[in-house]
Amino acid sequence: MLNFFYNSNIFLWIEKLINFINSIFFVLLLAALSFAIIFSPPDYLQGDSVRIMYVHVPAAWIGMGSFTCIALLSIINFIFKIKNITLITKSIAPIGLMFTCLAIVTGAIWGQPTWGTFWAWDARITSMLILTIFYFIFIATHKLISEKDKAHKISSIVAIVGLINIPIIKYSVEWWNTLHQPASIKITGSSTIHSSMLMPLMLMFFVLILYCALIFLMKYKTEIIRIKRKSIKRL
Amino acid sequence: MIKDLVLMNGYGLFVWSSFAITFLTCAVVYYKTRKTLKKYEKEFAKEINELSSEQKKVVLESSKIASKVLSSYNKTF
Repeated sequence: MLNFFYNSNIFLWIEKLINFINSIFFVLLLAALSFAIIFSPPDYLQGDSVRIMYVHVPAAWIGMGSFTCIALLSIINFIFKIKNITLITKSIAPIGLMFTCLAIVTGAIWGQPTWGTFWAWDARITSMLILTIFYFIFIATHKLISEKDKAHKISSIVAIVGLINIPIIKYSVEWWNTLHQPASIKITGSSTIHSSMLMPLMLMFFVLILYCALIFLMKYKTEIIRIKRKSIKRL
Repeated sequence: MIKDLVLMNGYGLFVWSSFAITFLTCAVVYYKTRKTLKKYEKEFAKEINELSSEQKKVVLESSKIASKVLSSYNKTF
């Protein structure tokens, strides 16, 4: 069972997974885009601008989810000192940063027709900006600190401290008066979004998750090769 | 119908720019990540090929990753 976690076995599985995702990705993307742009209805208040939700919301979820994942893995790494976890968190961080930035940019574009402004220092937007800063610091520690162990320790601390920001982002719309509407989709309790909009949203989320998996696998594969190259150079 | 789809009742600029920014960014990141991976694979395969035949044998026998990368490199070139 533990054999599976050897880099060589993981490497072979990564290849298979990349090929599998590549084979289904474009069909699913086409379906998701068709539903998001053509088949889903306009909102009774926001009109067609609501379609921005199909990229903005999944991007925000992925940005927050990735950071939560990095922080939880960092906690596990602090306790068990598993080398592969550092590779995983290093590979997830750029994807999370990209989607957090996309959530902010698409949110700003959505803000103009809805609120009449691209930017406001409201709680949700500001806490998302803070998340971006945490991502930058996390990535910068790996890039700027040459001593690997020290870099891993500092980046783990950054991730764990940054985890405090995640519930702030989630509940900011309930704790403070913000321009953002309260959550329409709830894990516990009934969602207030109609199924004709929920379905395309979930489909787009699934497609973007597949994209993240693809990028993550390629980055992880690159990291494994980088380590192997170092061991060959020692010969 | 196409005109409606493009204009989206006046929201076309906002909707299309959001989708364009998202998917262009995704495409660029995919391209860059793939390019980096291919570069590393190529350099790794070259380094294995530059080893002496004995060292090469040891590396290929001990590492599935090395043999996999080398075989896919040889297929490509």
